Amino acid sequence: MSAAPQNSPRIDQLSSIRADGSRLAIHPSDVQGRFITRRRLLFAVLMAIYVALPLVQVGGHPAVHLDVAARRFYLFGGTYNAQDFWRVLFLVTSMGFGLLFVTAWLGRVWCGWACPQTVFLEGVYRPIERFFDGPRERRLKLSGSPWTPGRVVRAGLKHGAYLGVSLLISHAALSLFVSAGGLVSMVAAGPTVSPVAFAWAMAVTGALYFNFAWFREQLCVVVCPYGRLQSAMQDRDSLIIGYDVKRGEPRGRMLKVKLGEVAPPRGDCVDCRRCVMACPTGIDIRNGLQMDCLACAQCVDACDDVMDKVGRPRGLIRYDSLNGLDGQKRRVLRPRLVLYGALMVAAFTGLALSLVQRVPFEANLLRFQGMPYLIEEGTVRNQFELHLVNKNPSETTLTIRVDSPVPAQVVVPQAEVKLASLESFRVPLFLTVQRERVTAPFVFTVEVKDSASGEVKRMEARFLGPTGG
Amino acid sequence: MSEKARLHYIYDGIEEHDNRLPNWWLFILWTTIVFSAGYWFWYHIAELAPGQLGEYRGEAAEVAKRNADNKPASNEMLLALVKDPGTVGNGKAVFQANCASCHGAQGQGLIGPNLTDGFWLHGSKPMDIHKVVAEGVVAKGMPAWERTLGAERVRAAVAYVLTLKGTHAPGGKAPQGEPEQP
Repeated sequence: MSAAPQNSPRIDQLSSIRADGSRLAIHPSDVQGRFITRRRLLFAVLMAIYVALPLVQVGGHPAVHLDVAARRFYLFGGTYNAQDFWRVLFLVTSMGFGLLFVTAWLGRVWCGWACPQTVFLEGVYRPIERFFDGPRERRLKLSGSPWTPGRVVRAGLKHGAYLGVSLLISHAALSLFVSAGGLVSMVAAGPTVSPVAFAWAMAVTGALYFNFAWFREQLCVVVCPYGRLQSAMQDRDSLIIGYDVKRGEPRGRMLKVKLGEVAPPRGDCVDCRRCVMACPTGIDIRNGLQMDCLACAQCVDACDDVMDKVGRPRGLIRYDSLNGLDGQKRRVLRPRLVLYGALMVAAFTGLALSLVQRVPFEANLLRFQGMPYLIEEGTVRNQFELHLVNKNPSETTLTIRVDSPVPAQVVVPQAEVKLASLESFRVPLFLTVQRERVTAPFVFTVEVKDSASGEVKRMEARFLGPTGG
Repeated sequence: MSEKARLHYIYDGIEEHDNRLPNWWLFILWTTIVFSAGYWFWYHIAELAPGQLGEYRGEAAEVAKRNADNKPASNEMLLALVKDPGTVGNGKAVFQANCASCHGAQGQGLIGPNLTDGFWLHGSKPMDIHKVVAEGVVAKGMPAWERTLGAERVRAAVAYVLTLKGTHAPGGKAPQGEPEQP
């Protein structure tokens, strides 16, 4: 127990707000155990990926470079422009149904294990705080202590470290939009050269600092819509973290009983409150499933440690479903999961198809504005315009070939168009046919071959003329 | 934390409690209310800065002013533009991008007529050429360019074409139309 008198967290109040509405900082204790070890490993991997995305080159471009200003998007070797925006529909639905599916199956596994809020808070900021202010008991004592010069200096150093880390994270985020090289040259040139990017970097830094230094778990409990939607996404078979009431109650310390007295009945819970102290949102998991629970499993590690010490089996607080905690069988396969899974598979299939079917260049054949055909000195002429966009990550040459079933004089001013990545070009195209040969509209084909990928696109168009029809 | 949350009411066994809102939340609420009062006073009462309508009117006036400078093309104006190397340079770029595919890179004529030989199908005065470029000759397949290029680039292109007169580019298309009338 800490020096400050502590009431147990209650199910009908938010732990991070005092009765007068002021912020009550939560200081989770350090736990050791299998879950926290695996989580830290995952945090490290995820942060490494986050930093690597703008640095690793795939096909001559960063793995992720969202050049919003020029509307060029490089994703894992693919090059996309604004015309590809429709694919975002499949991306968003895939992620949405994926989240539904995972939530129905594994509950808030995202929140506790993979959400950037958790990853940075538990992986970076909380360790910094622990380094400067010590473990939970020291932090609690410190938060009520007078502002001595020593405390001021330490708090200054701590918040300086917070700001430094926030700067790093926000610049890593900025490099996703301006590429790593662009970021380095921007920083070297100074804020006066690229004031907009600098303003963004500073705004994101400020938001990160405010969030991770002060706002913290309130984002998950008060702000995050995904957290608020849990009750609609989960059922009694979803994986949650729960306290086994049957096994634990009645809770209390082990008592020595005098000879002849009957020991009061005791469950396995020794009421040591380690699960409460370990909780980053400051709840008591023994009150049952609550919206504030991020399923981070810190209470599981804390309780398992105690169970080992008192010689009881682990799992008094464990990953299980509401049904499982009630002693029933936990069903995994159930209609809800099958439906969500089917929707998810459909969405991902759509996404995969939209990416596989992608031609690395755009070619659109349009009839020229004006007359549909022109009659000149015994010939009929049709005019078209070919719009070409190179969507390869590299330079390419597009070769245009026209195939006509009726002998025709084809004029393409430029049959070979050399285009840089994401450059576009318009080529006019003229077909002239002897008038007596134009007895009915006929269909001819235009073929565009892309030298970079070897892909070919064939387009059909109708040749119109005075056919009397 | 300590006192029991106020119970609002129970409905179907669902309890609604009334805890105090976080102070940061209330701070945002009151700040926006105060801000809105200030905003209202600033823009609508004291009018210390142009509001939405004011900004729109300002921009509309700006556009009107710019359009007023946009004098309709005339022979004199186009001939003056021919003497401006900047405009002719722009015109050349427009020509290479949009016109060269039919009229040839030097204006020697391909599908479209030769522009360098002193013969003209639709008149040789600057404004005649301007009309052809801007409004097109639909029957002949010359598109109307003003709606795609805009007035300024059409003028630049015409200025460039006027510099091609009589250059007699090699490999030119046979003359069509009437010789130039002085």
